[in-house]
Amino acid sequence: MKKKYILLIVLFAMLAIVPMACKKNFLTQTNTFSSTEAATFNKPQDVIAVVNSIYDTYQNSDFLKKSMWYYANFLAHDWYNNGNDIVWNNYTIPSTFGALSTFWNDSYVGISRANYALPIIADAKAKGIITSDLADRLTGEALFLRGMTYYYLTGTFGGVPLELKTGGDGLTPRSTQAQCFAQIISDMKQAETLLLSKTTLAAGDLGRATKGAAYAYEGSAQMWLGNYTAALAAFNNPELTNNYHLIPQFINVHEFNNQNNDESLFEVQFDLPAGGTQDWAGSWQPPGGELGWIDSFGWPSEITGQGYDYGSPALEYSYQTGDLRKYATILGPGDSIISPGIIAQWGGIKGYPYVTGGYASYLAAPTTDVTDKNRYTDGHGNIINTNGTATYPWYGTDGTPRSGYTDAKKWRDPNLTGGSGPQKLFGSQNQILMRYAEVLLSRAECKIRTGDVAGGLADLNLVRTRAFGGTPPAVWQDGQQVDGSQAPALTDPMQKVLSEYRHELTAEYSLMYLLRRAGTDATTGKPYDEEFIHNVNHVAGAGPDNNTSPIIYPYGPTSDGKTHGVTYNDLPAGRDILPIPQAAIGLNPNLKQNPGY
Amino acid sequence: MKKNLLLSKLNSSKKSVLILLLAICTCYSSFAQTRQITGTVTSSNDGNPVPGASVKIKGTSNGIVTDVNGAFKLSVAPGATLVISFIGYDTEEVPVGSRNVYTVRLSPNTNTLAEVAVVSIGYGTTKKKDLTGAVSSVTAATIAKNPVTTVDQALQGRAAGVQVTNNDASPGGNVSVVIRGIGSLASNGNGPLYVIDGYPLDNGGINNINPNDIASIDVLKDASATAIYGIRAANGVVIITTKKGKKGGAQVSLDASVGFQSKPKEYSVLNAQQFATLYTTIAADPKQSVALPAFAPYSDPSSLHNIDWQNEVYRTGITQNYSLAIRGGGDKVQAATSIGYYDQKGIVLGSYFKRVTFGNNTDYQPTNWLKSSTSVKYTYQDSQNLFGSNLQSGGGLVQLTELPPTLDGGNKATYLPYDGNGNYGFYNPKFTEISSYTNPLYSIGNNRSYGLSNFILANTSLEATIIDGLKVKSNVGINLSDYSGSYYSPEDDRENNQYPGSQVTNAFYSQHINQTFNWLWENTISYDKTFGKSTINLLGGASEQKTFWSGMGGQGIPPNGVIRDLAQVSNLKLDTNIPAGSNSGNGSNVKALQSYFGRATYNYDDKYLITGTIRRDGSSDFAPGHQFGTFPSGAVAWRAKEESFLKNVDWLSELKFRGSYGLVGNQGAIYPFQYEELFSTGYAASVNGGGVDNLGYPFNKLYQNGYATTQPENDNLRWETDYTTNIGADMAFLHGDLTLTVDWFNRRSKDFLLNIAFPAQTGFLDETRNIGSIDNKGLEFAVNYNHKVNSDFSYGATITLTTVDNKLTSLTSGTNYIQNFGGLTVPADGWGTFSETYIGQPVGEFYGYKSLGIIQSQAQLDALNASAVAKHGAGSVYQKTTTQPGDRYFADTNGDGIVDANDQVSLGSPLPKFYGGFDLTASYKNFDFNMYFYGVYGNKIFNFQESVLESLQNRSFVGVENVGTEYYNNYWTPSRPSNVYARASANDDVEGNNVASSAYIENGSFLKLKTFTVGYSLPSELLKNLAISKVRLYFTTQNLFTITGYKGLDPEVGMQGGNATQNGIDTGTYPSSRFYTVGVNVTF
Repeated sequence: MKKKYILLIVLFAMLAIVPMACKKNFLTQTNTFSSTEAATFNKPQDVIAVVNSIYDTYQNSDFLKKSMWYYANFLAHDWYNNGNDIVWNNYTIPSTFGALSTFWNDSYVGISRANYALPIIADAKAKGIITSDLADRLTGEALFLRGMTYYYLTGTFGGVPLELKTGGDGLTPRSTQAQCFAQIISDMKQAETLLLSKTTLAAGDLGRATKGAAYAYEGSAQMWLGNYTAALAAFNNPELTNNYHLIPQFINVHEFNNQNNDESLFEVQFDLPAGGTQDWAGSWQPPGGELGWIDSFGWPSEITGQGYDYGSPALEYSYQTGDLRKYATILGPGDSIISPGIIAQWGGIKGYPYVTGGYASYLAAPTTDVTDKNRYTDGHGNIINTNGTATYPWYGTDGTPRSGYTDAKKWRDPNLTGGSGPQKLFGSQNQILMRYAEVLLSRAECKIRTGDVAGGLADLNLVRTRAFGGTPPAVWQDGQQVDGSQAPALTDPMQKVLSEYRHELTAEYSLMYLLRRAGTDATTGKPYDEEFIHNVNHVAGAGPDNNTSPIIYPYGPTSDGKTHGVTYNDLPAGRDILPIPQAAIGLNPNLKQNPGY
Repeated sequence: MKKNLLLSKLNSSKKSVLILLLAICTCYSSFAQTRQITGTVTSSNDGNPVPGASVKIKGTSNGIVTDVNGAFKLSVAPGATLVISFIGYDTEEVPVGSRNVYTVRLSPNTNTLAEVAVVSIGYGTTKKKDLTGAVSSVTAATIAKNPVTTVDQALQGRAAGVQVTNNDASPGGNVSVVIRGIGSLASNGNGPLYVIDGYPLDNGGINNINPNDIASIDVLKDASATAIYGIRAANGVVIITTKKGKKGGAQVSLDASVGFQSKPKEYSVLNAQQFATLYTTIAADPKQSVALPAFAPYSDPSSLHNIDWQNEVYRTGITQNYSLAIRGGGDKVQAATSIGYYDQKGIVLGSYFKRVTFGNNTDYQPTNWLKSSTSVKYTYQDSQNLFGSNLQSGGGLVQLTELPPTLDGGNKATYLPYDGNGNYGFYNPKFTEISSYTNPLYSIGNNRSYGLSNFILANTSLEATIIDGLKVKSNVGINLSDYSGSYYSPEDDRENNQYPGSQVTNAFYSQHINQTFNWLWENTISYDKTFGKSTINLLGGASEQKTFWSGMGGQGIPPNGVIRDLAQVSNLKLDTNIPAGSNSGNGSNVKALQSYFGRATYNYDDKYLITGTIRRDGSSDFAPGHQFGTFPSGAVAWRAKEESFLKNVDWLSELKFRGSYGLVGNQGAIYPFQYEELFSTGYAASVNGGGVDNLGYPFNKLYQNGYATTQPENDNLRWETDYTTNIGADMAFLHGDLTLTVDWFNRRSKDFLLNIAFPAQTGFLDETRNIGSIDNKGLEFAVNYNHKVNSDFSYGATITLTTVDNKLTSLTSGTNYIQNFGGLTVPADGWGTFSETYIGQPVGEFYGYKSLGIIQSQAQLDALNASAVAKHGAGSVYQKTTTQPGDRYFADTNGDGIVDANDQVSLGSPLPKFYGGFDLTASYKNFDFNMYFYGVYGNKIFNFQESVLESLQNRSFVGVENVGTEYYNNYWTPSRPSNVYARASANDDVEGNNVASSAYIENGSFLKLKTFTVGYSLPSELLKNLAISKVRLYFTTQNLFTITGYKGLDPEVGMQGGNATQNGIDTGTYPSSRFYTVGVNVTF
């Protein structure tokens, strides 16, 4: 019995131990995966890092290319898609288009990162973790990036919900477009006072927002509201006019070896570090690594096996004779690439693996290998060094329709080969969102709008002078129209502005935004964008208005009686902006879809 | 293998049996009078011996008790009659004739079985008759009827209210178990809690338990029964008790079976000639919006070599299953040891599943007041499924119907999938229409993978009886499991060698390990006492359980085909922990649970029963200060049969009414720290640390780190609380031959937890929150009938039937519906949304366009477009600008004149109106028969696979794919109109005929003959000399036939990834097919 009692005591003791072991900290664990705010922001680098993550928003390809670039260029109909996104070719973009969701979602994630950063910066400043100067700069960057993100969101969708604080329930309805631009102006104005000037920005911080960039976006936002005087004031700020310049040669604006150049106001930075691999996950998936995939995908499939963008022949024809921007922008059949970087690396088009391989195949079987002969020789038995030939334009290797015209602005990274040879798909070419030429052209529009036509034309001529390598022609006139006839001389100053927007900025991230910004043409009562798209793409007799199918091109080397994927359809009412992503509406029932979608 | 085991066991077993018999003889020799007879008592139910049965000589007090093998030996006078009785069986009388050996078959008496049956209720047991809650029990004999791989499969159709679906038929199984409806939308929010021999399995792993080791399964369903498990109880509790040793000698049993699994049914798809003909027809069709380029080999279809991909990849499977167990014991020690080996070669090339289990249960009672129980189980598993079982695991079998049926024009060395000399065919990499396809035989033949896991579950308890009725018990245990896997695919430059410039696929190597360690310590005190007509049972306890998880792994490019060492790969990329805190990826985490619980029952005169249960759980998954929840429940029962006015009603053997109400919790859907505002950083791109996580930015090509909030603060995160009402009745008639249990339940799951897409405006794309409420109401029926016609023939039938009325009742997100979310990405345009759950509707309802057939004529199309123009202006079209006669005609459900995303509607529910099982057993002399049907009724299936069979385009990609023969023979052409099959299109993404629509909604009702078994037990007289007490041979077929109107291969389509929003969509999963199994059960 004695034993039994001892055991009993032991057992009861065990029972008693449980409540003792149940100390409060039994349920308190330490997170080993992520950290809390208190644990994170104790060094200046960490506070800087919270701002860096806002920039990171822009590295996503769906964001930059499939939303912003598509909008700026496919809607203006200078460029078309080949691949899975051909709905962009005729203004039938569905609200379920995947990249739009990415654009919408990542924009708000970026905005939220800015909203989170603002109190963290203030807190770090109060605690003495960062200096007052650094706090100002970082606050300015956060406000700038928030404002810029709203700028592109509003430009693309019209008014969007304004989220300016953390902790929201995500159910905010849309503000009006005017309210959004007013908010953008407010953010930019604050940023102007807080950001560093370009002159004081450290080399290692190239790519960060500057006072000049804030003035540029403020000016543009003012224009969206019709405040041309205020816009002019912003564009005339010495932070812009003193610190940024047109670089001497247009071709160099987008050269790979000339990134972050003196003309660039804001460019999205990419990097392919030494030893880095071609990693789809690094770039493709949100929120993106440091690689860009934007460029080689638009090259001819004869070079890359891809060829997902192609140009409108009308764009190439429309360059006025002597305009040096033409072959720096678009290459048609028989045109040689003029990028110094590409020529240095490959000797031009002739050096690419598919070309050399195809030419070798032709040499091995000169009489039977007709495909390679047509594709990779110049018609005289020599290796081809042009973007196809007039006799055998490069319509692509897979039978799907392409026009034979290629984007030369994005054919600059000499490291890329697309799907061919070493399979270098992903590169590190930065993407310029805002440059000084756009500021000058916008300033020209402001001057014209406010009655200073001469001043406006003078600003346009600053840009045209570079374009023509000296004094521009006295007659303002585009080149040929789509049917090959000479375009009439331009007399309306606004038409001159729009023509410059197109010829200077097409294939960048601006054109459609600027066309829409111009609003309504008072003389015709029609929106400028609708009118412009109609005028530059359509000539009576060349095809019906609103045609949505590819039609036979009436002029030029590709007018062979067959369709090559170019359409002329007009911009339908309401389709100058994109549909709010269906998924976003699904999650926030307060969002109302744009009329017409 | 089987034979050797049997023979080697025979000798030693023989000895033990002889020793045992000698002992019995010695004991009872004094009763020897005239003549000695021997015999065996067996159960007519399953032919198993009945140990402990009383064998008496009628009219005397002489008799003995059968031994562990059911054997007896007795001296009898001529003309005597034996009276054989045992609890739970009808008593038999056998006149002694001239024979010396007797076999007595006892028939189970359901009524008495119910009286004495013991049910595990968590931290204790109770008699079935004293139950106040809703509990279903499944016995070992029932489990043994169906040769299943895993325990959860054994539950299918056996317990009312428990819905078990084989999500796919891959080796090792992928089973979902849902008890009383879907209460949560989270993938890991619906599984029941499994308790193995008193150990709650906090981290899953039920498939590590060998079904042969199970003595009983008790499924606790209502809150009264489950509340003792508090925060883990909302989805029901499955209590599994494994077989233990019994006093009185040793029993050796051997179960062995070999099964063949036939090749599955195949989809009928085009052969090479048909495919090339279709291709060239469409390439020449001017109505196509995207033209197909010419491909020279297709220009002469008759010259092509055909490949039947399904035939190439499917094979006959073989399953082997062996279990050997020794169970028995003396007065103080009883033990059970078992070894199991399961080996399945799957019907898909390269797939297998192997499992080795062994375990030991030991009970030791050194004194009459002290007792210990120890249970140790170990399991090793090795499985491989190189081809993936479904869309989610990498494309998989849906591909087999998509792959163009010829490889001609590809590999210049061979047109065969594999020529036997190291050459695998491939598709022409230069022809973009087919260049993205991979020959699956190459992948299966050249890639290597392994996934090994170890599982140990060990616990031991010490129980002391302090005074009569007062017991103190301490239970300590651990559950350790680990996983180690790797995958290797070699560099593939075959295409580039023949077609320079083609893609070279890098070699790839990945390796992952993880370990989960869980410990449990529970102390309970209980007191049972009867005072006159009153009986009380009191239980109180405290428990702590803690889980440590850690994992590590990465992937990269190996330097060559030999090295399997992560340290040597280039571009090493470590696993990512997504979602943070989950048991995945690279890192570690800890979860802890601290609990107190109590239960009191009061029984008055065996008529009136009351139970009250409470558990207070503290969980580390919630914010400090918000960690504890209390879960109370109460129940009453009235055994009306015991009342005087029914006591003597002969036709009614039992009548009991039960009612309960209670609260139980569910925290299964969240991970640690989801309440905290968290910041996270990324990796520098130079280490390729996963672009997904990279939050930094390269200023002037110099990378700088980024930090961002990845999760907002939410201290209000709570467990889900289920408010459950249950009203039930238990009845028995015909002296217990017929029993009926009916339950009505109302389960209201409030604040279920879910990580769900949130408006991006919050700054977060998804967040875990308490999302809303779901109601499940239903009725459960379980009917059992057993009848013994005579001593040779008896039969029985069991029916279980469950109805569940499920609906989402509220959402906190501000929206009125939830879209499908989770891992299933259906690779086709217009399939991004295939389910939407609206408030007031069942969860996982299908969603899409309503198909009205096919547009037959230009006139019809013009009229539709004209109405669009009337409402929306010039240039507007009814459907698409590309729409032509022959395209699918979708309904303009909102009447705005055009068909767009706003016209999508609910298309039906994947949830059945009812489901159940029907089991028929019979025995005649030495034969036993079992037929077991399982069925569901009233559900819909979204047949995505059918849309694949109707699409020539490899949707969402550039290229073409094979189509179904039915489609090929019937697709719309102007001269061959169809109102079912749209015109053939080379670009369905543009044409949009095969978007998610009602055209693919089918009735999913089915009735499946799951098993049909015939068994034969060798006559015991024959075995006597071999010292074997029982040998039963059996033959079983599974999935012999399915009655269904469903067009796909198998209507048993489950929840993909356990996610209720991905339920019932047939994406061509691993098909089930017929098994033919022969086996033997031997007992020594």
